Amino acid sequence: MRQGWKWLIGACAALAMAAPAKAETVRMTVSFYSAATGPYFEKMAADFHAANPGIDVKIEVVNWSSLLQKLQTDISGGTNADVSIIGTRWLLDFVKDGIAEPLDGMMAPGFKERFIGPFLKPGQIGGKTYGLPVAASARAMYYNKAMLTKAGFPDGPRTWDDVVAAAEKIKADGGNGFGLMAKGTEVDVYFYYALWSHGGDVLDANQKAAFNSPAGVKALTLYKAMLDRGLTEPGPTNYTREDLQNQFKQGRLAMVMTAPFLINQIAKEAPTLDYGIVPVPTGTTQATYAVTDSVVLFANSKVKPAAMKWLDFLFTAGPRIAFTKGEGFLPTTNDEAKDPAFTENERLKVFVNLLPNARFAPTVTGWEDTAKAVSDAVQSVYLGSATPEAALNAAAAKANQSLGK
Amino acid sequence: MLILPSLLLALGVIGYPFYEIIRLAVSDVSRFGMVRGFSGWENFNRVVSDPVFVDALVRTLVWTVTVVGGTILVALPVALVLREDFWGRGVARTILMLPWSIALSMAAVVWLWAFNADYGMINAGLQHWGIIDKPLQWMARPETAFPVEVGIGIVVSIPFTVTILLGGLSSIPSEIYEAAKIDGARPWQSFWLMTLPMMRPFMNIAIVLNVIHVFNSFPIIWVMTQGGPNNRTHILVTYLYELSFYLGRPGPAAVVSLVVLLIVFSATAVYMWLREREG
Amino acid sequence: MSRAKRSILSWLVLSPLIGITLLPFAVMISTSLKPHDEVLAYPPTWLPKRVAWENFVDMWDTVGFGQAAFNSVLIAVAATVLALVIAVPAAYAMSRLPMKGRGAYRQFLLVTQMLSPILLVLGLFRMAASIPLGEGTMADTRLGVIIVYAAYHLAFAVWMLASYFATIPADLEEAAWIDGASRGRAVLSVFLPLALPAIAVTGIVTFVASWNEFTVALTLLRDPSRLTLPLKVVNLVAGRYSVEWNQVMAATLLATLPVAVVFSLLQRYLVTGLTLGAVK
Repeated sequence: MRQGWKWLIGACAALAMAAPAKAETVRMTVSFYSAATGPYFEKMAADFHAANPGIDVKIEVVNWSSLLQKLQTDISGGTNADVSIIGTRWLLDFVKDGIAEPLDGMMAPGFKERFIGPFLKPGQIGGKTYGLPVAASARAMYYNKAMLTKAGFPDGPRTWDDVVAAAEKIKADGGNGFGLMAKGTEVDVYFYYALWSHGGDVLDANQKAAFNSPAGVKALTLYKAMLDRGLTEPGPTNYTREDLQNQFKQGRLAMVMTAPFLINQIAKEAPTLDYGIVPVPTGTTQATYAVTDSVVLFANSKVKPAAMKWLDFLFTAGPRIAFTKGEGFLPTTNDEAKDPAFTENERLKVFVNLLPNARFAPTVTGWEDTAKAVSDAVQSVYLGSATPEAALNAAAAKANQSLGK
Repeated sequence: MLILPSLLLALGVIGYPFYEIIRLAVSDVSRFGMVRGFSGWENFNRVVSDPVFVDALVRTLVWTVTVVGGTILVALPVALVLREDFWGRGVARTILMLPWSIALSMAAVVWLWAFNADYGMINAGLQHWGIIDKPLQWMARPETAFPVEVGIGIVVSIPFTVTILLGGLSSIPSEIYEAAKIDGARPWQSFWLMTLPMMRPFMNIAIVLNVIHVFNSFPIIWVMTQGGPNNRTHILVTYLYELSFYLGRPGPAAVVSLVVLLIVFSATAVYMWLREREG
Repeated sequence: MSRAKRSILSWLVLSPLIGITLLPFAVMISTSLKPHDEVLAYPPTWLPKRVAWENFVDMWDTVGFGQAAFNSVLIAVAATVLALVIAVPAAYAMSRLPMKGRGAYRQFLLVTQMLSPILLVLGLFRMAASIPLGEGTMADTRLGVIIVYAAYHLAFAVWMLASYFATIPADLEEAAWIDGASRGRAVLSVFLPLALPAIAVTGIVTFVASWNEFTVALTLLRDPSRLTLPLKVVNLVAGRYSVEWNQVMAATLLATLPVAVVFSLLQRYLVTGLTLGAVK
């Protein structure tokens, strides 16, 4: 026993003496976007360390599906990293709990100005900046050129009427026309594409549910009608976004709406596929969904200046271009947007051009609950257990409860 | 002294989480598990007024009754057959015990693949025999997905149940059958009047253990449908998991835990009371 | 009825169930031997055109099978040993020593057996996250999982061991005391050897239950290098943008076979052991 104490005291003393000489360590939790994510951040950490020998960056890569859980454990145990990538939609909870540190005072002059305005905005709450947009994407429609040419739309569909007409022809040839996604995350978003393009909105100006408007009913009726007429893949409640992307890669699905990163996947897994990208089809107007993931700095971090230095480095042009190109996202800073990798990529341009009309998920409490209510409503319509109107009204009531309206 | 460690371990690993759950149930908890303050019955109200909860509660009962009932209905005749002396009995026994060796979660993965609409062997077989003319989307609709899950629940519960019943059957002395035969009893009579009553304690234990197990069975439904589509294959435990770790609502999730615990406790109490009464 | 007739009849009655039982194994074997392009061929066939042994090799890398198997074995063995070390004395006390509150202890065990960890999963998770360990907390450590497994298998183990111990005549030990052996010695040299089969059966059941467990591991573990086999397999299917079914099935098969073999060999003992423990 006595020996043990002695040893402990000795160890403490040694630690105390070693402390000043020890490099600062910044821990960062990173979400797994693709196989390239881990290596990218490791390389950046090494580059950063070479330039700043006093700071070590440790990267922890976590799957998206377990990121929320990891944050839960780490935060309640007080063992969270110093910085983390999070879904921007979680930011409000972070701020309410006092977990995230406002960055404005710590950002070097000009840092904030590097970002493309609309992408930075979702990370700002109550006039303070908490999240820096690390990954951004928008949505557009991918179409199989061979199938659409045969159906009479060689340049892809422009309107929902085009989609229906093309899908009819494709169905006659025995193919799956329109990919309808109704399983997993973003089931609600898939409905919002049609909702927005019919002139509707998810929430009104008072942050009250508005998706059960006539536009919403029209949008959902359209999807349901396509399903009933066999213009989609059978059993959409069995298909996640990934399933539909796979069908598209295999050339078994003619049209699907998804994010820019499918471009990278196709280049890697189905390089011979001939496809095009067009904006989300219009009903009465042009719209798309844009979403960002943010980097936050934890309020309990003990190495805030070092962490800010690291973030500053991550958001310079070089590292940004490498990241955004590697993962197939959209540029979030002005400097990277000027890179030919983005300005000269015809396919990515479709997404970039859509941004002026892009909608972001509003930062309100109860957004996730709203998303869940809408997803459930959409599924119940596809399963034939409710009419679009009844399902959306019920979901709106539920959403309003969560939104506190 | 000798039982102390076991008490401590059980109390620590069961008691403390229990305390945490009660605390969460009456607190306003953020998505990230921070307790923001006392909230009284608010979480309870939220849960009880959620139709998905009521639905899941009913479905849990259906799930438990059909899986356990189905298991007993299949396992009893199987045990009776396995008691007979026939060629290859050892092989048959071994085969029927095999599902026990696959982890439940992995079994669910394998079945999920077997039921895959496009490439699964179930649709291929059914089409081959002309029972269906185009692939069935088994997991797309709750009307087909849930019965499939019940069926798998039954299949994986059979080995354990057969084992218990076989043990029970072997405890019945064979002489009494011979005596009954001499007295002119028909086989079904001796089954009804002798086997069944003597098997009762074994049936009871098989039912009780299965009920506990099936009631709490998480992997099959979680792996195959995650409670969807449209929340219509949720049982309480999958709903509880989704609430706490996917929807970020630890407070209401704790309430669901408590409700399930309450059900389990009352079932246990009834069972113990029955046992006492029977002596 | 002749034996032949009875055999045919028995097999006929059992055949549907045997078919259903073997189907997952057939699916596993068939798919695990198919090359990638044949897996997603429509319509599917049972026999691969080319046997793709490389699936097992590829799977080993992509799944990290070796590490996961090591984790599974480590966790299951440690949980079993821990449970037994605590349960054997408790069961001995229950079956041998007069003590106050034995009834209450029995009830307590029964109640804990009723509690599946899934019901307390949220609390378990918070508990683990609040216990500091090394640089982090108990959450996301194998030790945490081991302790939880041991605790939840304890009731079953004590229960089974106690019922078996009760069948070992106490005279033998008493004879040893008369011969001048201390109580402890008597237990070690006389009682334990007799109890070994029961301990073995309990150990195997605990081991397999831990080996197969999913929920607790799913909740507590996250670091890919610490995941157990069931988690790895389910992770291959859930939340991936492409599922390599041939590799998934190869992993499942490889994870299942050792357990299946052990079960087949020990099946007879398990039947007697379990019924004894469960009903008494």
